[in-house]
Amino acid sequence: MSTPNGPWQKNPALAWREIDDETVIISPTENVMHELNDTGSFLWKNVDGRRTAAELAALLAAEYEVTPGAALADTEALLQQLISSKLLVPAAAATDGAAR
Amino acid sequence: MSASQTTLRRGLEQQFELSIGCIPLRLHVSDARVFSEARERYRAFAGSEAPPFSIYLEDSFQENGENPEFVYDFEAQRAALRAFSAESQFIGAKNAYALDSLLRILLSWVLLRHAGFLLHGATIVRNCRAYVFTGRSGAGKSTVASLSPSGSVLTDEISLLRRENGEWRAYGTPFWGEFRAAGSNSSAPVAGIFRLAQAPENRIKPLRAVETLRGILPNVLFFSEELAANQRLLEILGQAVKEISGYNLAFRRDKTFWEALPS
Repeated sequence: MSTPNGPWQKNPALAWREIDDETVIISPTENVMHELNDTGSFLWKNVDGRRTAAELAALLAAEYEVTPGAALADTEALLQQLISSKLLVPAAAATDGAAR
Repeated sequence: MSASQTTLRRGLEQQFELSIGCIPLRLHVSDARVFSEARERYRAFAGSEAPPFSIYLEDSFQENGENPEFVYDFEAQRAALRAFSAESQFIGAKNAYALDSLLRILLSWVLLRHAGFLLHGATIVRNCRAYVFTGRSGAGKSTVASLSPSGSVLTDEISLLRRENGEWRAYGTPFWGEFRAAGSNSSAPVAGIFRLAQAPENRIKPLRAVETLRGILPNVLFFSEELAANQRLLEILGQAVKEISGYNLAFRRDKTFWEALPS
């Protein structure tokens, strides 16, 4: 399944914080806690409503010293997971301010 | 018990002050029976030194010129809570059970201002330190409490944890568990949080901070769906799990589980 290039932004209805190298995200209306590992956390931190998947992949490649192709594949896979879980929403669809 | 009858802006009321986790509260009650039940139920937690947060038991919502900061409708009891910056109204709390439920809900919200939270779990004091045991229903919280010496149980039902002066302390609460009695009105520095599971042999495993959070989150009492409140709660819990050691504790139903715990 292909992932639209974005841009994406954090779902403004969620609360989140970093704990050590991981990110914990909770929905105030659902009893679900999401956890992101260090790579997911890096991506999460850099999703800002402006960057595209390609731009995020470039940041990932620089941070983790992987090839551009591998970084793009990882980025798209991670984005797809975050979008499927409704942790990210299209930037244009957001209506509220971010949690933090 | 500092209880006195007085005439206030809402007519003839009785009031008394209590302190839970060093959170000062003052109950204003016009129903004599509810007042009597509440006074008895919270007797061990009576008294307050700091200016208290007032709680008015009302038959209906009373306009006070403010918009509530937190609202909770407790449909099972046909009761509701409206919390404002310096007071709260409990509407329809006709008995001690409903009052107790609303008090837990209110306290979970007030604690956001005090770097604290309520956790469904038992807390036992040993060597002047508080061991907090939590877990799903049936995991053994009450069993742990029943296996502990008399007087060492801060609570077998709802633990209150607060960060004060750079230190996490656990407090007893007046909320009843299987002991059918209020917890102890005292506190101790937290030694650790232990996620319980019953097993044939005692076994303990340290947890990473995120694992501890995953373990306690289902047992944290919190009732607001408001984003900012949840963000604040997550900040408090995140700090707690980074600063308090967390463990998985598989234990058998006897006192030997204490030997597995870190001293």
